[in-house]
Amino acid sequence: MSPSPQPLASKVVPEFWRSLDERAMTPEFQARLATEFPFVATLGPSELDRRNFVKLMGASIALAGLTGCVRRSIDKIVPYVVAPEISVPGRPDYYATAMPVEGFARGIVVEAHLGRPTKIEGNADHPESLGATDAITQAAILSLYDPDRSRGPRRLAQPSDWAAFDTEWAQHRAALLATQGQGLALLTEPTSSPSIRRELQRILELFPKARWYQHTPLAGYEVGGSQPDYDFNSADVIFTIGSDCLHRHPAALRYGRAFAGRRRVVNGQVRMNRFYALESTPNVTGTLADFRLPASPARMRAVLDALAQAIAHNALPPAAGLSPAESQFVTTLAADLRKHAPAVVCVAGPEEEADIQRWALALNAHFGASGKTIRFLAPQRSDTDKASAGDLAALGDTMHRGEVTHLFMLGSNPAYTAPADLDFVSQLGKVPFTVHHGGHVDETAAFCTWHLAESHWLETWSDLRAYDGTATILQPLIEPLYGTRSSLEILRRLTAPSGDQAYAIVRETWQHASGGSDFELHWNRWLNAGVVDGSATPAVAGPSAGGDFPVLTHSAAETLPVLILQPDSTIGDGRWANNGWLQELPKPLTLLVWDNAALVSPAFAARQGIVNGDVLALSIGPHTVDAAALIMPGQADDCVTLSLGYGRNAAGSVGNGHGFNAYRLRTVNALWRQSGLRVEKTGRRYALVTTQQQFAMEGRDLVRVVAPDALSVPPPAASPTLYPPWKAGGYAWGMSIDLSTCLGCNACIVACQAENNIPVVGKDQVARGRQMHWIRVDTYFSGDPTSPSVVHQPVPCMQCENAPCELVCPVGATVHSSEGLNDMVYNRCVGTRYCSNNCPYKVRRFNFFDYRSPPGALSHLQENPDVTVRERGVMEKCTYCVQRINTARIAAEKEDRPIRDGEIKTACQQACPAEAIVFGNLADSTSRVSLRKREPTNYLLLEDLNTRPRTTYLAKVRQPTGGTIS
Amino acid sequence: MKPPVEAPAPGPGEALIAPGQTMESVTRTISDIPLRHPYPRFWWTGFLVAFALVLLLLTSIAWLFTRGVGIWGINMPIAWGFAIVNFVWWIGIGHAGTFISAILLLLHQTWRTSINRFTEAMTLFAVACAGLFPILHLGRPQFFYWLVPYPDSMGLWPQFRSPLEWDVFAVSTYATVSLVFWYVGLLPDLATMRDRAATRFKARLYGLFSLGWRGDVRHWVHYQKLYILLAGLAAPLVISVHTIVGLDFAIAILPGWHSTIFPPYFVAGAIFSGFSMVLTLIIPLRAVYKLQGLITARHLDLMAKVMMATGWIVIYGYAEEFFNAWRSGNVYERFVDVNRAVGPYAGYFWVLMACNVIAPQFLWSRCLRHNVGVLFVVALLVNVGMWIERFVIVVTSLHRDFLPSSWGMYHATFWDYSTLAGTVGLFVALLFLFLRFLPAISMTEMRRFVATKEGGP
Repeated sequence: MSPSPQPLASKVVPEFWRSLDERAMTPEFQARLATEFPFVATLGPSELDRRNFVKLMGASIALAGLTGCVRRSIDKIVPYVVAPEISVPGRPDYYATAMPVEGFARGIVVEAHLGRPTKIEGNADHPESLGATDAITQAAILSLYDPDRSRGPRRLAQPSDWAAFDTEWAQHRAALLATQGQGLALLTEPTSSPSIRRELQRILELFPKARWYQHTPLAGYEVGGSQPDYDFNSADVIFTIGSDCLHRHPAALRYGRAFAGRRRVVNGQVRMNRFYALESTPNVTGTLADFRLPASPARMRAVLDALAQAIAHNALPPAAGLSPAESQFVTTLAADLRKHAPAVVCVAGPEEEADIQRWALALNAHFGASGKTIRFLAPQRSDTDKASAGDLAALGDTMHRGEVTHLFMLGSNPAYTAPADLDFVSQLGKVPFTVHHGGHVDETAAFCTWHLAESHWLETWSDLRAYDGTATILQPLIEPLYGTRSSLEILRRLTAPSGDQAYAIVRETWQHASGGSDFELHWNRWLNAGVVDGSATPAVAGPSAGGDFPVLTHSAAETLPVLILQPDSTIGDGRWANNGWLQELPKPLTLLVWDNAALVSPAFAARQGIVNGDVLALSIGPHTVDAAALIMPGQADDCVTLSLGYGRNAAGSVGNGHGFNAYRLRTVNALWRQSGLRVEKTGRRYALVTTQQQFAMEGRDLVRVVAPDALSVPPPAASPTLYPPWKAGGYAWGMSIDLSTCLGCNACIVACQAENNIPVVGKDQVARGRQMHWIRVDTYFSGDPTSPSVVHQPVPCMQCENAPCELVCPVGATVHSSEGLNDMVYNRCVGTRYCSNNCPYKVRRFNFFDYRSPPGALSHLQENPDVTVRERGVMEKCTYCVQRINTARIAAEKEDRPIRDGEIKTACQQACPAEAIVFGNLADSTSRVSLRKREPTNYLLLEDLNTRPRTTYLAKVRQPTGGTIS
Repeated sequence: MKPPVEAPAPGPGEALIAPGQTMESVTRTISDIPLRHPYPRFWWTGFLVAFALVLLLLTSIAWLFTRGVGIWGINMPIAWGFAIVNFVWWIGIGHAGTFISAILLLLHQTWRTSINRFTEAMTLFAVACAGLFPILHLGRPQFFYWLVPYPDSMGLWPQFRSPLEWDVFAVSTYATVSLVFWYVGLLPDLATMRDRAATRFKARLYGLFSLGWRGDVRHWVHYQKLYILLAGLAAPLVISVHTIVGLDFAIAILPGWHSTIFPPYFVAGAIFSGFSMVLTLIIPLRAVYKLQGLITARHLDLMAKVMMATGWIVIYGYAEEFFNAWRSGNVYERFVDVNRAVGPYAGYFWVLMACNVIAPQFLWSRCLRHNVGVLFVVALLVNVGMWIERFVIVVTSLHRDFLPSSWGMYHATFWDYSTLAGTVGLFVALLFLFLRFLPAISMTEMRRFVATKEGGP
């Protein structure tokens, strides 16, 4: 563009001007004019008369019309004429990798559509997944697309870049090298990653005076220097003490699968175990027990002491001071343990104190369970690594003494998760150079010199070991969405300023490990299978139990009430707080969403005049936290339970401002249990939202419970109908849900959400009863509210053969397919909602508002392209994953064969660790679902309505209280 | 202005027309209301208040279309709320007019003469209000026409097994026939208005709508035949519309809806609420416009009796529901009835009982029947009661059905109330416009009535 032939500024002041700049004809204005309107800039005022103007405009408009709306890239693009070999548009790719779960690996297979990961499934080849997942694993994919993820480094809260950090660190590094790393401290989470541990080793070698600390707000799994590992398949009697090992444990999926195997009716038989649970606050595992005893921590110790004596002396001590329920529990359990030894196992929860852990080991040793139902593994996580200088408290001390000058915090968020009495934030102020490396600009990032953005684990290379030692190479599914670095890359920068790619670092580690021969061959196989074969750790000799049961009753009496802290069942320690799926996932047993609550027993609530939603001021020492109360049947009396992870203010737009921060009540010496809690009513109210309000079955025959020696329910009998019978032939899809094995973990809900593009609607909408989950897990309590019996019932669409919804739709938007599916035609739906009114199972969900993510939202990348995203005003519901049926049908038709049994797994079925859900073809009498439906415990929900549901249930098998094993 | 005839307090309801009325006085009394616009302050106040509510309705609809039906209190167990309650309530009110005009005409109940025009207009306006709701309540109201069987290019057809589909035909037929019946009845009166109009413009306008009526004998012959034919057509529609509205619920398998008593019980309820609305409106209008000479105490007395009769059918319906729930032994049916009486919505249920069961019983007394104030209050209570009855049917059945895990509560929002208030405003505004521009009582029939002395005691 040539400049104007005549400078305008000095000569002509235009009569009409668009800005003061134009009037003054400043050089800036001319420059802008030249870029915006080149032809105007090149014309002098006299040249641009009316005729020329009209001519130019006419030509411009005509040319603009020719080009239309095309905005072509200025870079050279390559047409997709020949598709890349491995990627076929419309067909997903699957990659095996692993997800970090409390520092351990959980083997997963990730589905990717044209390079964007959309869904996580379990890796059937991985021993700690067995093809299943839990709710958090299912939801993890959403966090990859979290819009609040940190997108680049920040220095003193201002956006910066990596080069600036590298330069600044190089200076510090030079100084630190001179002092052998004096004053350098690293804080990581305990990890099982061989590469990270190797990098930490390298750092400590280069900077011998540097210190490495580890911090996790959650409990470790080591007892006496080894990891106990349980075999629930061979245990006939299971006794858990405050443990949620079937739901929240690095090996929970394997345990859940094994436990379910002992509860499943096969050919009318069940190899039923007997399950006792002693716990203060109900959790998923405990409520599966046949005999569950709620007890405060002090009562728990008294019960365990009495049990120890009952075991030792074959009789209940006469003066144990137990209540009748406690005596009965102890007597029955002691008799059962003696009878079934050595096929017994005792599990103490990791949050329980060390002497209770030892007590559990003593029980296992006493009955000779070691090597049979329990084995011990070398620790896989770095908790007790000799090179580590200690935990967060140790780091706090060092910082307090001013001995830390450079602090790197990787992956942890101590400003939020540190116990209140540590006053970590003010200690942090004493460190001149602090670096936080994490996925979010979180509470800790706000107090650091540098915040470094961390790559998501689906974006980078790494490695991890599972609870049983099996290693997995983590491979990236997608290039980092933002300018982020992985922790391996950060750690490598500390020793090698030029840095290395994570890929190279991980390969280095494994090249060392494999000895180098045929490495490429091994490497490809490891990546392909998602496991490093033969890497599982062998059993080791367990800790010496010492033979005798430790005496647990403290001399000092417990001051009531007791505060019990526990990890949250959906958002863990708070790291999943910004994940909408997990926030909106009803927590098992309470069905609470978007908040945590102070759980109190019904009796405690009655004594204190507390009703649900009352805000209580909970005080321990100088620390007070206000938390809304929720009455929890089965909660031990005088115990107040609050879960960790809520009350965040820097989690992101989803997680901020929900719930109450339990870390503010934590002290270094009492992380999980504190007696002497002060509970005061504040008089304020807080809206707690649950997806279920009514937990009693009202005498209705909804969940059937049978005893193992009476395995039958009245068989379904078809009532007469005026409609012609359903035409046989072809496929007839059906589902069977085994209530006996359902753990109530809610993994199916999130799996369905991820598969079917189900929106998150927010707390306010859930409060109005508008949650969108296609499958829900109903929870019913029965019996005495102090110690109720709990049953779970997953409810997807029943796909009724006589579907009440189909009859009433005026536009035929819900119709029956030839294979028995009750199809929903979103395009045809006008939204009368009559179908939902007429659905006795209330499984239909309605888009009351436009719940879709706004255009351009990152979460669209997660969406499954095989499933329609529903618009406002449209009804939706479970489809039996019809997209998966059709994928299998296409594959089968191409190969000219029928669809094989088990070829189609619905999303809920695939996720279920307990294999409680089976889907298949009812027309095939040998299919798994047909076999299950022939079990004597098969029944139909609301059978007398004659809706003839295709989804049926198997009754729950539970030991009758006080009975003996058959 | 002064009414032409001072209407003395009529004897205890024997006369259907006050003594001394002539053909001329009747015509003048009636036609003066639109032509001379008496009591403008009353009219303007009433109209402007109603019009403000119409604006509220438009705002509510605009917001509804912008955001979606989520602005209402409906949720997943209770997917129908105020919209359906209002629909059934309005359509019920719209029953009295055609019942009075058509069925009473066929039954030669001459007392209908002085109220039929007004009640027919009321019917039309109530049906207009009712007709809004099935469209507004749709999740995607832009596609309401998919319920109409039209030649769709993809060969799609409505699903005729759905009672909502039957509603489309029932309501649209009823609205069409009611409109035609009302308009045909108006023809001779429009001609009268044309002849009495003071200005040329008004004469032209009334003339246009009177379709060239000259009072020719042939006109009268055709008119009478057509009117009777239309009455014969409209009469079954009175029964069919609310039968089908009743089937909207009865077809469902939901306890509290699934009941064979619903069609007759809904029809009776509709006439019950229709008559109570007629009384609610006529009592004040008759006082304001000094029409006691034409709409006499006898009329009110007869309408009160119809209310009593239909009220008792409704009470029978209530009793039958409870009896059958108990007799069936069905745990869900029994629960619904117990839950209505003692559950979270028990307050609504007992107000309903007070309004629909207790209040009409005062009308057993002839003395109270002739007390206009008492009659007005009772009619008003029945209106409220009938609205609550629909609320109880729709909401309490839905909020606790088969699976306790899915039970929920319904809390109406501002927009629920504003839409209801808005349609009340629309109804009243349309009535005021009707009063302002059209003869509210049939002059033709009143003249014949005077001439034949049918109104004599």
